[in-house]
Amino acid sequence: MKLLFLLKEGFAGFRRARLAVTIALATITLSLALLGLFGLVAQNLSDSFQRVFYQIRLEVFVDPSLSESDFQTLKSEIERIEAVQSAEYISPGAALQEFEKDFGKDLVAVLESNPLPPSFRVLLKTGHSRPEAIQAVVRRIEALKAVDEVVYPENLIRLLDKYFLLGILIAVGLGTAIFAISTLLIFNTIRLAIHSRQRVIEIMRLVGATDAFIKAPFIFEGILQGLIGGLLAAGLLWLAGDLVRYLFLPGLSVPWLYLAGLVAVGVLLGCIGSYLSVGKYLNA
Amino acid sequence: MIELFNVSVKIDNRPVLNDISLQITKGEFVYLIGKTGAGKTTLMRLIYMDLFPGKGNVIVDRHSSSTIRRKEIPFLRRKVGVVFQDFKLLPDRTVFDNVAFALQVIGSPKRTIRARALSVLTRVGLNHKRYQMPHHLSGGEQQRAAIARALVNEPFILLADEPTGNLDPQVSTEILALLESINRSGTAVLMATHNYGLIRQFPHRTLLVENGKITAGEAPYSKT
Ligand SMILES: Nc1ncnc2c1ncn2[C@@H]1O[C@H](COP(=O)(O)OP(=O)(O)OP(=O)(O)O)[C@@H](O)[C@H]1O
Ligand SMILES: [Mg+2]
Repeated sequence: MKLLFLLKEGFAGFRRARLAVTIALATITLSLALLGLFGLVAQNLSDSFQRVFYQIRLEVFVDPSLSESDFQTLKSEIERIEAVQSAEYISPGAALQEFEKDFGKDLVAVLESNPLPPSFRVLLKTGHSRPEAIQAVVRRIEALKAVDEVVYPENLIRLLDKYFLLGILIAVGLGTAIFAISTLLIFNTIRLAIHSRQRVIEIMRLVGATDAFIKAPFIFEGILQGLIGGLLAAGLLWLAGDLVRYLFLPGLSVPWLYLAGLVAVGVLLGCIGSYLSVGKYLNA
Repeated sequence: MIELFNVSVKIDNRPVLNDISLQITKGEFVYLIGKTGAGKTTLMRLIYMDLFPGKGNVIVDRHSSSTIRRKEIPFLRRKVGVVFQDFKLLPDRTVFDNVAFALQVIGSPKRTIRARALSVLTRVGLNHKRYQMPHHLSGGEQQRAAIARALVNEPFILLADEPTGNLDPQVSTEILALLESINRSGTAVLMATHNYGLIRQFPHRTLLVENGKITAGEAPYSKT
């Protein structure tokens, strides 16, 4: 009976103040969507960042006139360098195929012969990503005989290395600010909604409702608002993710767990916000 | 069953009540008179423990202001009905739901709520309007609804803070007649009023709040 009453009061609150509730829900949804969007962008950026930065890839071009067994020897020499995780032999034919897949041009048709030299694709172990460390490995590989050239995105790596810390600081700062703003927006929305129902709280206190009984419908309502707002925000992000993927970022991922987390944040904020707000009126 | 022992109250550091002692016994009808700002509302708030004395002690039923815990206050309020000049009905629900609300929020069973709400609405003469919204009622009817809500939990005392303050003389008389009938069935009534005509029409023990003190008073003839 009591539970039923609480649920009914909570839902009735929704029904009675339709406009206010709509505005509140919109605010909560947008706040959560903003927060979720930031998290998503940060997550995806840091993913691509890690792909470049954390496992460095070198292209080692070698003398095409080497024999099959020379390639084997060279491969094991490269792999003996301790920072190297693996070296994969890429034949001119395989290189050509990759090139054509990436650029869609028929190179041989234009040049009449395959211009690409054989190479090794060398992956460094994670943790060897500072420019000096890479440089040292590169020098050792270049010193090997039959190695023509070692190619890697040196400038990009130097840039990332230089601004890595700054980037993290900015991201954390921005993330904190957005989280704070979303939280404040949500709390304020809930506080306003409860403020508009001061009369109900006043009457409940007057006729002898216990604090817990007064709080419960408001907290239930806050949770419901957080839940609905969270679901809507998750839906928005999911749709937006589809759009972005389709338009310009095919690699964008919007994990389900992440969206579920966003809903959980909504529920939590709704719960805490309503608990704090209604508490204030009880202690008035 | 309501006793004040040497009670002093300061609001914003200004003394409002100063060392007053008072007793209201079971089933009594008592008027509270005094100028605006004298402290009548303050005295009522002491009784339903919305306010606590700086000095002294307020005893209501078995509760004492000096020892009551926050958790017990709701249970005290269930035994003290309160009505105001502005009725304080919830505008978004019917008269019946307003009355039922007082029982719902203390977790009464549904069957009890319905029976008690209907019986108290009959008692205040509002049964035929029970499914109306408050703003469709006259002032007198709204006050009857508020009285019904205050009575539905069967309190031993009804505190009425200027209950006729917004009502015309004819309706005020009807409300007073209702309060008297409630009092005759055993509920004590403490009513603050500026309407001395009503006091003369329905005479009862009268207390005057003045300069922080409470004395036995009498309705002066100079005012209506
Ligand atoms: N919330 C408050 N904040 C500040 N002062 C208050 C408050 N409530 C009461 N007071 C002061 O306490 C004093 C007593 O007020 P109270 O409301 O008890 O008077 P009253 O006798 O009920 O007056 P009235 O006939 O106008 O209702 C007044 O001087 C008033 O200014
Ligand atoms: Mg007053």
